[in-house]
Amino acid sequence: MNEPDLMEVKQTEAKRIAQYNDRWNAFGVNTGIVKISDRLSLAELKNYELFQEYDDDKLLEKLLPDISIATWKKGAILFEEGTYLDLAFFILDGSVEIFLKRLQEAPNLGRPIFDVSRTMPAFDSKTAPAGDKTVTMETMLQSQLRRQDQGDAKTRYLSALDVDLPGGSVMRLGPGEILGEIGAMNGWPQSVTARTANECKLLQIRTPALRQMRDESDNLKKRLDQLYRERSLATHLKTTPLLQNCDDAFIQALTQKVELVSLRPKNVVSKEGDPVDALYLVRSGFVKLSQQFGEESIVATYLSKGMTLGEIELLLDDVEKWKFTATSVEYCDLVKISRADFRELVRKYPAVERQLWETAVARIKETGGSKKNIGRAEFIDAALEKGLMQGNSILVIDLETCTRCDDCVRACADTHGGRPRFVREGDKYENFLITKSCYHCYDPLCLIGCPTGAIRRANIGAVVEIEDQLCIGCKTCAGNCPYDAIVMTDTGTVWAMDALEENYRGKARLLASKCDRCTKTNHGPACVNNCPHGCAIRVSSLGEFQGLLERRK
Amino acid sequence: MAEKRSTHKPAPAFWGRARNWVESPDWLRVFLIATVACVAAYAVNIAVSEAAPGNWWGLTYGTLASLLMAGAGLYALRRRMTKTALTLRLGKAQPWLQFHLYGGTLALLLTFMHVGFKIPSGFLTWWLWALSIYITVSGLLGVWLQKWIPKILASGLAMEVVLERVPELIAELRKKSEELMKSCSEPVRDFYRKNVAAALVQEQPRWIYYIDITGGIQSRLKQFEYLHKFLPAAEKSHLERLQLYYRTKLEIDAQYTLQKTLRWWMYTHVPLSLVLLILLGFHLFAVWYY
Repeated sequence: MNEPDLMEVKQTEAKRIAQYNDRWNAFGVNTGIVKISDRLSLAELKNYELFQEYDDDKLLEKLLPDISIATWKKGAILFEEGTYLDLAFFILDGSVEIFLKRLQEAPNLGRPIFDVSRTMPAFDSKTAPAGDKTVTMETMLQSQLRRQDQGDAKTRYLSALDVDLPGGSVMRLGPGEILGEIGAMNGWPQSVTARTANECKLLQIRTPALRQMRDESDNLKKRLDQLYRERSLATHLKTTPLLQNCDDAFIQALTQKVELVSLRPKNVVSKEGDPVDALYLVRSGFVKLSQQFGEESIVATYLSKGMTLGEIELLLDDVEKWKFTATSVEYCDLVKISRADFRELVRKYPAVERQLWETAVARIKETGGSKKNIGRAEFIDAALEKGLMQGNSILVIDLETCTRCDDCVRACADTHGGRPRFVREGDKYENFLITKSCYHCYDPLCLIGCPTGAIRRANIGAVVEIEDQLCIGCKTCAGNCPYDAIVMTDTGTVWAMDALEENYRGKARLLASKCDRCTKTNHGPACVNNCPHGCAIRVSSLGEFQGLLERRK
Repeated sequence: MAEKRSTHKPAPAFWGRARNWVESPDWLRVFLIATVACVAAYAVNIAVSEAAPGNWWGLTYGTLASLLMAGAGLYALRRRMTKTALTLRLGKAQPWLQFHLYGGTLALLLTFMHVGFKIPSGFLTWWLWALSIYITVSGLLGVWLQKWIPKILASGLAMEVVLERVPELIAELRKKSEELMKSCSEPVRDFYRKNVAAALVQEQPRWIYYIDITGGIQSRLKQFEYLHKFLPAAEKSHLERLQLYYRTKLEIDAQYTLQKTLRWWMYTHVPLSLVLLILLGFHLFAVWYY
């Protein structure tokens, strides 16, 4: 493990320890827990089958803060559809029912998790209008939704579903089964609701522990991968634009043949010049593609969910070696389709080959563009470093036209009861200020670990918002946000002496506060609408930001 | 013989180039059309009748000028009633500002036409005339400042500062510098006392930032170079850290100087604009009542 990794674990661990007591206590909305364990001892942990294969006591010690045992009463809701979890449940005793609750109310849940419309690296700045959303983006979103509507009427394909479940049915899981792990490890919202069928004893494992356990145990990795194959992979592959026209039998066969690859940050997937072995499909996270250019390597582009790597090399007969070095930007999961399966795929489905050719041509153009225009490569590199690829709505300010009048901040304050939801500060990129305003990330880390569900998003890609009535001011979301976009504000009141959580009684009541893109008003974002010079702009993708930079040159 | 192809890109059309120096070429286009219309109307006016404030022609010019002035004044009201403007969906602030600029400028032309391009002799009308000129000129100065200052702030400085936070940031730099000095040798401390400490007390606006924003900073950083040569390696790093704090302070000063100019300009424009609108009210009352 290199130094940055060590640091990452230490920080995460420290944060988790601090949150330990708070996180597993009941906070009014979470009244389903009858009993929760204190921090387990090493000996207690080893009693459970799941941990018996780990010989390394140091590793188990590390896992301890992230593991607890909870007894849930009958009929308690473990999680609901749309919830972001940072833990998985391993059933020790009792049974859990999972079912679809809000399917009819929220048809957009059907948006595929492999949704290439999320990132538009090949954005053409010359043809795109300067709006909040591009026409191309709008068209792609529309087509994604149409595809969903054309799906099988009986079985709904749910993007982030841990289990492929026909609408209206209930599935029961019993002792020895695990649930919630796919969403937890991939940062996807849960697409089912889980309810205890009777009093249940559950082993609760948080994501950092789950990741470490998977990294250290081939058995667990196989087990989790097998669960993913059985429960969700077919749906995920089927909803991938690339494979949407393949028949079910082929997809089913593919689920057994593909390899599931999990990467830690900065792991190398493929090295430029090495022999090509497979086509990779990104399941979650981001992958950076770089190419040697002179003495150094330059970033050519990046891949996000649903994008593929290897099509150029596999389609062109005389290319036997990787043209790019592919490196994971953060925790990342890929589906690896072997060369033989790839050959079968393109032989059987000419449409897939045509689509891959289009991707290949676009990528060749794009990477050629990066070499011709080093500034573009620099932009992608900087954007990946700053995490801008996560942004669904980033507020940037053109500093060349901004008169520093602060009308944007004032409008934000006026719209939100006198408290602005952002500050006109942040990183600069060229002459643009990337403000400390919520990015409304595609995979929002802030949603993970909220003990009351106060911070939430109605749907994939929707606005991330905080319900003031539910926020208890625990600072978990603020601590999780990598962009410092959530601030804690003092409400000027104190917690009542009969508050459910004893630790809070009599203490100042804080409230997490962040940009909600003014969704609760009848107008658009106040910051943008109130800028007299039009220099406050929201960008929804890196391509859009890049287009903006080019237009302003 | 094959025709030789030019490698030069064709020059962008006028309206294409206009985008570089005006926010909205459409508004400029409307303004120019309106100006031409006004000039044409005035030409017809003097051809067929006398140019006087009291005749039908003059009253029309005056009424239009008053309406434009009042309309331009509404922008200030919108700025102070953000929530209402947004809730009532009165449009984005940008077109309001464009109307404020172009409408206000056109109002001056109509005012000149109203008085037949002569200096008014009455007390109230003279003040109205003078204030109209002053407000328009100060407004145009503001437009120029608002185009020029952001450009030099963006291009010359590495950091961006919120004006209200300047005292807080300086205090933080002072605290950090004093902490640093505790672990420095006497020559560095002496240097700090003589050359840096005073600068870290409060913001220091300087004229040089208007002329050469980066040069103004670089010339002040030169004083670190001489001492740097004589220090041992460990002390060098301390001095470099101090230089970083000092540089940050100078950038804050530059931000302060230029941002403050933008704020001060408002005081030269807004209060007298209000006076103009009040006097205009008296003038209208007097005209219609008598």
